[in-house]
Amino acid sequence: MSAGPAQAGARPGSVTAEAGRARRHACRAEFAKSASLHSTWWLLLAVAGLTVVLGAAAVGTVDTDQCRTPSSCHEDTVKLSLTGVWVGQTAVAVFGVLAVAGEYGTGTMRVTLAAMPDRTRVVAAKASVVAALTAVSALLAVAGSVAVGRVLLSDAGFTRANGYEPLSLADGATARAAFGSVVYLMLVALLSVGLAFVVRDTAGAIGGVLGLLYAFPVAASLVSDDAWKEWLTRLAPASAGLAVQSTRDLDKLAIAPWPGLGVLSLYAAGALVLGGFVLCRRDA
Amino acid sequence: MSAPVPAPPVSGYRSPHARGGAGFGRLLHAEWTKLRTVRRWGYALIGAVVLTVLVALLAAGGSEIKGGGPSGPTLGPNGRPVSDGFRFVHQPLTGDGTVTVRVDSLVAQKNQRPNGREGSAAPWAKAGLIMKASTLPGSTYAAALLTHSHGVRFQYDFTHDVAGSDAPPDRPRWLRLTRAGDVVTAYESADGVRWDKIGATEAPDLPETVHVGMFVASPMAYNFERAFGSTGVDGTFTLSTGTFRDFSVDGRTEGPPRVTDVGAQGSGPGASGDGDAPTSPAGVTDAQGNSSSESGGVHTIVSTGDIAPMEADVDLTQQGLSGAVIGLIPLAALGVLFITAEFRRGMIATTFTASPRRGRVLAAKAVVLGGTTFVAGAVAAAVAFVVSQPLLRGKGHRPPVYPELTLADGSVLRAVSGTALVLALVAVLALAVGALVRNTAASVTVIVVLLVLPQILVAGLPLGAARLVVQATPAAGFAVQRTIEDFPQVESACLPEDGCYPQGAGAGLAVLCVYVAVALGLAVWQLRRRRA
Repeated sequence: MSAGPAQAGARPGSVTAEAGRARRHACRAEFAKSASLHSTWWLLLAVAGLTVVLGAAAVGTVDTDQCRTPSSCHEDTVKLSLTGVWVGQTAVAVFGVLAVAGEYGTGTMRVTLAAMPDRTRVVAAKASVVAALTAVSALLAVAGSVAVGRVLLSDAGFTRANGYEPLSLADGATARAAFGSVVYLMLVALLSVGLAFVVRDTAGAIGGVLGLLYAFPVAASLVSDDAWKEWLTRLAPASAGLAVQSTRDLDKLAIAPWPGLGVLSLYAAGALVLGGFVLCRRDA
Repeated sequence: MSAPVPAPPVSGYRSPHARGGAGFGRLLHAEWTKLRTVRRWGYALIGAVVLTVLVALLAAGGSEIKGGGPSGPTLGPNGRPVSDGFRFVHQPLTGDGTVTVRVDSLVAQKNQRPNGREGSAAPWAKAGLIMKASTLPGSTYAAALLTHSHGVRFQYDFTHDVAGSDAPPDRPRWLRLTRAGDVVTAYESADGVRWDKIGATEAPDLPETVHVGMFVASPMAYNFERAFGSTGVDGTFTLSTGTFRDFSVDGRTEGPPRVTDVGAQGSGPGASGDGDAPTSPAGVTDAQGNSSSESGGVHTIVSTGDIAPMEADVDLTQQGLSGAVIGLIPLAALGVLFITAEFRRGMIATTFTASPRRGRVLAAKAVVLGGTTFVAGAVAAAVAFVVSQPLLRGKGHRPPVYPELTLADGSVLRAVSGTALVLALVAVLALAVGALVRNTAASVTVIVVLLVLPQILVAGLPLGAARLVVQATPAAGFAVQRTIEDFPQVESACLPEDGCYPQGAGAGLAVLCVYVAVALGLAVWQLRRRRA
């Protein structure tokens, strides 16, 4: 609660302009820090590379020969092509965590906070820069996966002659799955940033993020009660979020595509708010 | 040769420490002190225990018995549940004797898939000779038999299976069972003249008068349909047809052959007073589709059923220990930090100055870390097992299909200590990866991806790829948690994601050990080469 509203009443233009400039400065500073680290570029490359490679491996395991007839394969080819996101997200998590916990490790955080005393702004700037960089690499990852999937699937018999349209982003459901996957990876990055602000320790934060992403699906695979399975899938950030990749049997999903992504964004928002709160309250 | 070199001047100072640093015991003590004094690492150990127990509770709470569970299963001679159902054309035999038959052919019916295409035949469909204490299901027996795709076998008392020749099911094969006192011996022959022994067994539980005769049994046949994210296993009942010729009993016998459907409705214990199941006239087809006929010395038997141990579909011990997959995440973080924290703080320079032999430092770290995480893992596994069992019992998992087990049972003890060992090995693997990569976040991620991701992806991959994944990744080590004995003579519909590993416990641990050894080797090589 600063004097913002009162001043805004007096000279609205200059205050918002100043705030905007400060935001831009903060973002530029965060980008400069990120861009000057080798690890950033390696990790962004890893996001795209791992996603495409695992997607290709998953697509490589299917063939219409395995089905009763070539036209009866009940395969969600879009989701299959985007399987790589399961691994790609680990690099995103490392990137998000390192952007924050790395600063705590080296002590740069004290300098950052000295330069930008508005701690909410630090969180916002970091989140924006990490999300934006992740988005670029996620776009590459998803586009690459779809392209590789398109080629491999037509080689495996998923051709127009057998009744399968080649993967194309012009198709509504495919576009939703692809765009949703990019958003998913951005939300994972935000979740990692938020959690890293809370935990401040690299190993703890990365363990926490990976635990959140993987523990629920593993637990869901362990229970045999269908109602429990459904709830674990709905509550899990990863399983619910990745519902956005489904293009077939949408009525059988435990959670619909966009609400699923909503669950993940609640986790991400919760982590960021908690991270911001903790940052404002604690010594650096 | 040059002139002798003058001795170097004696220096005034000699280090009291031995060359190459302190002994290994001192090194261990130093590493233990480091581990003990970082409070966060203690939390990691506690976190591993808590997570393992919580996930085990979750898995136990969310478990249910599919289809209500078997009610009152048939028990075999050693008290374990068995399947015992087949059509039996038999005569009594008192005392010693020999029974011989020629199996002309065994035709196993293939199951039908929904689209009308032919499915697979039951590989363990069988036809042959059996010598059985009574016609009640579960009674002790010995049998020589021809199978659809596993050749000739000698099986006795459900759990024992001895392989004979791999004769095809469509070619005639002679089989013979001989009883001499308590010893039953099985023979096979291609021509009825030259006989090869398959095996022999002591059968002290066989009464003076036994039932000997021909039988056919045909277990369920399974089709696996698999698409990413969904698996369809459909098992169908099959009927197989055995054609027999020249059936002869050499010994004290009486009457013409009678027909009994062992294990069929109404033949269970208590159904008849005299201890034998009711017999039906030959040629009658019963509700299951079993039938038999005889004309001119040729017996044709069509039957479903199986004579085999019954496997429980859920391994309660394994389910109780399943939380270790998640519990390993804090241990992986601890293992990585145990070395990367030293790199980060520059402590490693001090460590290597005090003890210049870097391989030994890593070895000391591995011993201290492995020992500590083994203890934490053992506590986690034991507690998880103890708290999950009552929950699972409450869900209707009861003996005899799900026998009562305690921590003192050999199989449970092996699974619990094996889980602790897997967790310790994962922590040491994390230490080695940390020493190699030197980046905390990347190292932790590598370990989690290698060990946890396979458990998630396995459910979606095609069967071959899924089996490869659980065999070849470090996650193969979790095979040690399985306590159910897998009998090769039963085809089961158990998939990797249900906890069935294609490899045994030892082989799985060996795979994990290879990963640990290779990673440690590379780490030592790198530590020696690179600047600290």
